Amino acid sequence: MSLYLDNAATSHPKPQAVYERVRHVLEEVGASPGRGAYRLAREASAVLADARKKLATLFGIADPQQIVFTANATESINVVLKGWLRPGDRVLISSLEHNAVVRPLARLAQIGVQVETVPNSPSGHLDLDEFRRLLTPPPRLVVLVHACNVNGALQPAEEVAGLCRHAGVPLLLDAAQTAGVQRFLVDEWALGMLACSGHKGLLGPSGVGMLYIRPDLDVAPLREGGTGSRSEEEQQPLFRPDRYECGTPNLPGIAGLAAGVEFILKEGIDAIRHHELELATMLEQGLEELPRVRLYRPEIRGTGAVSFNVAHLNPGDLGHLLDAGFDIAVRTGLHCAPLAHKALGSFPAGSVRVAPGYFNTRDHIEQFLNAMRSLLRHAGR
Amino acid sequence: MGDFERVMISVADEKEMMLPTDKTVSLEALICDASGHGNLRHQYLVKEVPVTIFVNDRELVTLLCTGHHLDELAVGFLRAEGFLESRKDLESLRIDEDTGAVRIASSLDASLVEHLWQKRTITSGCGKGTVFYHAIDALLATPVSSDVHITPAQVWERMQDLHRLSQTYRDTHGVHNTALATPEQILLFRDDIGRHNAVDMIIGHAFLHDLRLDDKALITTGRLTSEILIKAAKVGLPVIISRNTATSLAVELAAALNVTLIGYVRNGKSTVYSGLDRVACSVSGEG
Repeated sequence: MSLYLDNAATSHPKPQAVYERVRHVLEEVGASPGRGAYRLAREASAVLADARKKLATLFGIADPQQIVFTANATESINVVLKGWLRPGDRVLISSLEHNAVVRPLARLAQIGVQVETVPNSPSGHLDLDEFRRLLTPPPRLVVLVHACNVNGALQPAEEVAGLCRHAGVPLLLDAAQTAGVQRFLVDEWALGMLACSGHKGLLGPSGVGMLYIRPDLDVAPLREGGTGSRSEEEQQPLFRPDRYECGTPNLPGIAGLAAGVEFILKEGIDAIRHHELELATMLEQGLEELPRVRLYRPEIRGTGAVSFNVAHLNPGDLGHLLDAGFDIAVRTGLHCAPLAHKALGSFPAGSVRVAPGYFNTRDHIEQFLNAMRSLLRHAGR
Repeated sequence: MGDFERVMISVADEKEMMLPTDKTVSLEALICDASGHGNLRHQYLVKEVPVTIFVNDRELVTLLCTGHHLDELAVGFLRAEGFLESRKDLESLRIDEDTGAVRIASSLDASLVEHLWQKRTITSGCGKGTVFYHAIDALLATPVSSDVHITPAQVWERMQDLHRLSQTYRDTHGVHNTALATPEQILLFRDDIGRHNAVDMIIGHAFLHDLRLDDKALITTGRLTSEILIKAAKVGLPVIISRNTATSLAVELAAALNVTLIGYVRNGKSTVYSGLDRVACSVSGEG
């Protein structure tokens, strides 16, 4: 049986309730939400409302209607960047941003959006002094990844949020890696926008993400279309969530996401974080004892993602050896985050990322470390 | 087409065969020219025999070779492929010439190597790709560290030495010649129908005699391909020299593995593809 250690890409397995909820919605509900008055359509709408409510509880958002369902964190980020930034605007990003941020901004740069990068140390620590300096004059937007998807480095999101609030600049927090693992309070931190995926730490199925936009921020929608509301008007409704949600939503995915969030609320986010960080520490300690291993250890760890390289061995080769030799699934290469790899010193080859999830055990980590020991016994001359 | 010759092997009586060395046989063959005229002549042919290597009673591979120095061939092959790592791994070696079998007992647990052996590497497009195509090679081959230096004159002299030693080639034109050398002299000569086999014999000899390789050069008449490069790098040979040319992948691998690759050594000239720092040669420009 495969040992899955790629939870930073997507969590696997899911809580049993997630599978059951998806199946229930597909088999028993079936209808499209917000488009009809019959019982099944009302039930479908209730599925969405229930999911919004649970996410609002998890993230400390008073008004669930400010939560928008998207396809994934990438779409959520695209909505904000393309709906908020205009030619001539200036945006600050960290040096650990994912291509979900870097690539839309590269396109926006072609129409005159000015992108400035705040440096991070090789251990992933954001240079807050430089960040403070770059806040004057105030940029139009600050984008910060809450934890680096390469090595789990936690960014000082609350502090950055406070500085942004003081400067009157909205902060887009990319919580793709931390949602369901780290605590953050959207209203209390006065976050401008929050983007995250539903299939990683939130334990839902793939194909669903979420976006929060503070009510006072007028972000133009990325798409327009049918919402089931104010259908007599040609213009997209301005009220949320309909302003950003059009077309039939991924109801089974959203239902599964709600089940995942329920699981997190029941287990306790602190217990989940504690377990994942404990496994990451075990990984780091075990890897450190091996010859030729270089760890990209974060200054402050926020998730279970551990990145490393073995001298003279391409990370892709090592990943394949773990797969072919031991049926262990890890992610190798640049993890869609070349900027982060440049900051961490692992560009262009990238690294091997081992990302345990809540359902991994200490035995799994020992199994992985034994595989590494076995491989490195044969390595070199 | 006037000088075109076609060799047709006739049925030869084994008793009539000439046996000038243990590596060749002779037979009578029809030498034809394009006009349709032919003469029967004795020809030397290099032997080709199948040899099967067994490790701990498990059949591993059958090599087609000339059939000599089978101990070196088997041990060198196993060393280069990762089935043997040090002399202490080798518990026994038995050659059965009648059945063409080499049986080796090894104390090394090579189950992982065997499991991964010759499996094609599969990597994603996310990040700089690998230069290896077999996963196990990526694990076993590491950059070669060496202080050895060689001059172009020495390269040319050693290539001439190699040709002087190649009696079987002169008889048959059917083998590849390979030698292990210091910059000053050839230490060991082997030939075989397979250029890989000849290299394996060199590696096997060094393994069996605890000969260090990191201060020596491998000289061959074979093309410089990725397989030869990987094989040499896995045992720490810093310099490879050939009468023939190199392939693109061999040069890429040589750069990655810090191997000096010198090819097309003919008429006093040579082409250094990688590892220029080990070749004492002044460079006057490009183009």
